[in-house]
Amino acid sequence: MAVLLEGMCPGLDKDLLRSLRAADIRTVEDLVSSDIEDVAQKCSVSYKALLSIRRVLLAQHTAFPVSGADLYEELLSSTAILSTGNPSLDKLLDSGLYTGEITELSGGPGSGKSQVCFGVAVHIAHRLKQSVIYIDTTGGLTASRLLQMLQTETDNTDEQMEALQRIHTFRLFDVCALLDCLYGLCSGGLHKARVGGGSVKAVIVDSVSAVIAPLLGGRHNEGMSLMIQVAAALKTMAKDFSVAVLVTNHVTRSGSGEVQPGLGVSWSHIPRTRILLERVETGACVSRPGRRRATLVKSSRQACRIKEDFDLQRWSAADGGAPSGKRKLDQADP
Amino acid sequence: MTLQIENVIRSVWIWFWCFFGSTVLVPHQGSSSRWTQGRSIKNVEEALEALQAARTGEGGASVTALELLQKEEEFGSIVTFSSRLDEALGGGIPVGKVTEICGAPGVGKTQLCLQLAVDVQVPPCFGGLGGQVIFVDTEGSFQLQRVVDLAGAAVRHCSLLAEDEEQRVAMTTFSVETILSNIFLVRCRDYVELLAELHLLPDFLRDRPKLRLLVVDSVAFPFLRLHDDLSQRTRLLQGLGLQLIATATRHSIAVVITNHMTTRLRGGQSQLVPALGDVWGHAPSIRLLLQWEESRRLASIVKSPGHMDATVQYQITCEGFRDADQSEQLQSKRPRIQTDQ
Repeated sequence: MAVLLEGMCPGLDKDLLRSLRAADIRTVEDLVSSDIEDVAQKCSVSYKALLSIRRVLLAQHTAFPVSGADLYEELLSSTAILSTGNPSLDKLLDSGLYTGEITELSGGPGSGKSQVCFGVAVHIAHRLKQSVIYIDTTGGLTASRLLQMLQTETDNTDEQMEALQRIHTFRLFDVCALLDCLYGLCSGGLHKARVGGGSVKAVIVDSVSAVIAPLLGGRHNEGMSLMIQVAAALKTMAKDFSVAVLVTNHVTRSGSGEVQPGLGVSWSHIPRTRILLERVETGACVSRPGRRRATLVKSSRQACRIKEDFDLQRWSAADGGAPSGKRKLDQADP
Repeated sequence: MTLQIENVIRSVWIWFWCFFGSTVLVPHQGSSSRWTQGRSIKNVEEALEALQAARTGEGGASVTALELLQKEEEFGSIVTFSSRLDEALGGGIPVGKVTEICGAPGVGKTQLCLQLAVDVQVPPCFGGLGGQVIFVDTEGSFQLQRVVDLAGAAVRHCSLLAEDEEQRVAMTTFSVETILSNIFLVRCRDYVELLAELHLLPDFLRDRPKLRLLVVDSVAFPFLRLHDDLSQRTRLLQGLGLQLIATATRHSIAVVITNHMTTRLRGGQSQLVPALGDVWGHAPSIRLLLQWEESRRLASIVKSPGHMDATVQYQITCEGFRDADQSEQLQSKRPRIQTDQ
């Protein structure tokens, strides 16, 4: 809401401003949406003067349309697709995480959301040699697990240390700290994290529901507005800095007992792509405890409801390959 | 005549400004500030400076994963005296994370908590943390005599292992009396007292830097009575979960909580699942499920960011929480020393 100020455009002088304020026109919106003839009569100003002022203000404050071709050119030059490192997930995501968009992973407790986030962070830091920002609100970030995953990708300790240095972590436990962190990143933090090779290409927030869900519902309404503020901050960061944003969410049960992503309908419009993770519940799974099933719940590029199975122990291999096993390396494989 | 000319001149002037004004002012938003008075720009700059100064640097600094790894390696973990469980957990209950122990009544949750309360005090030269513990009891299940038994067994165990001078010196400060004096017991009768206690915890922790373990036994009991407003219960639980995680991370302590089991009906079948719902399931980082299988007691890791799902067997003896197969073989249950790994 831009307030009308003196000197904002030629012709808007102190006297005119005073008479406009007396007629209860304080902001640009008020002036532009009011009837010029009416205002001219009330403030005893010439109709033409007001018309010209209105035209100048409109020109100053309008957004300009861009043609589809220009937009396409811009997208081609600025969007990157980051592979997650897991071929099954890449298939679901149409070859990977797109920069400029928010992708959401939801699942129940123990379904593997944090593991997928670790896998993505390790892959981007090590293979793609880009920096990653990891915002952890669940306390589940274990650097030794990141190291384990890196040790299955390479044996070189220097490379492992380099990759670990490219992952910048924040640990926050309430929504105001999260907003503070996101605004800080937008206003210069992302440039600072560029040190050490590779610009920041991905921001992972694990999880966004842990800090927002306690505020929703109840008598106070600020929960919803805080959620939308977080969403707006994430979206502007994704678009302005060309980063891929990956967030995790919890699940709730709908009335019919079906599992659905949490945070409600308002949040469901924010991410462009949504994936639901669940454990594979079969009796024969005792020997493969890392099996998970991912379902595409929302996508603007692929048909929904496609499912892909993958194994958390074998992150980078489609089949075969070294397990990135979730246990200490000095133990023998089964 | 002159009036007409004046009007013409004025309209030409206005037309000129409209034309040029729109082309000059449009390109960037910042140029509109050119038309504001000098004092407005100064006000905006002053406001920005004041905001920057007011921002505290709490969430500002990022930590690279390498630094986080170094910090984690310093923390260590709390042994459970069951070597198989310690092995599955990579050393024991990790410090800095929230661990949940859930199980049916009588399977040994409180026993494990009491064991951990004794184990955290084992001196560092034996592989423990030498820290204090605060035990928040909501069910009234804390039995002092049992703690005395466990403490006695731990002291005997460590005195048998004392080999060098340092360990013998440490044994002089590790006795049943000192163990009991390092356990702070808080009794909470309902959820309000529990929330209040956790709220006051940071001040308590500030005065006691040696505190390494917080046990809440159990977190489900006060909340299971809140039937009438389930959404309020959910919100309270989520806030509680966040607070526990924040305490664990900021003060580098291990948080252990116990939970009950409840029945969930799916289709025609019933299944035992941890209580308090899926929403609460996201709060703890590590979840240990204790269950009965015929006459055996099994401990399974069902959720952990750093460990694979595993199941081990354990038993509760008069000495406390121990491995299943081996009987009273004390030498084999040596707590893991960090330098071994």
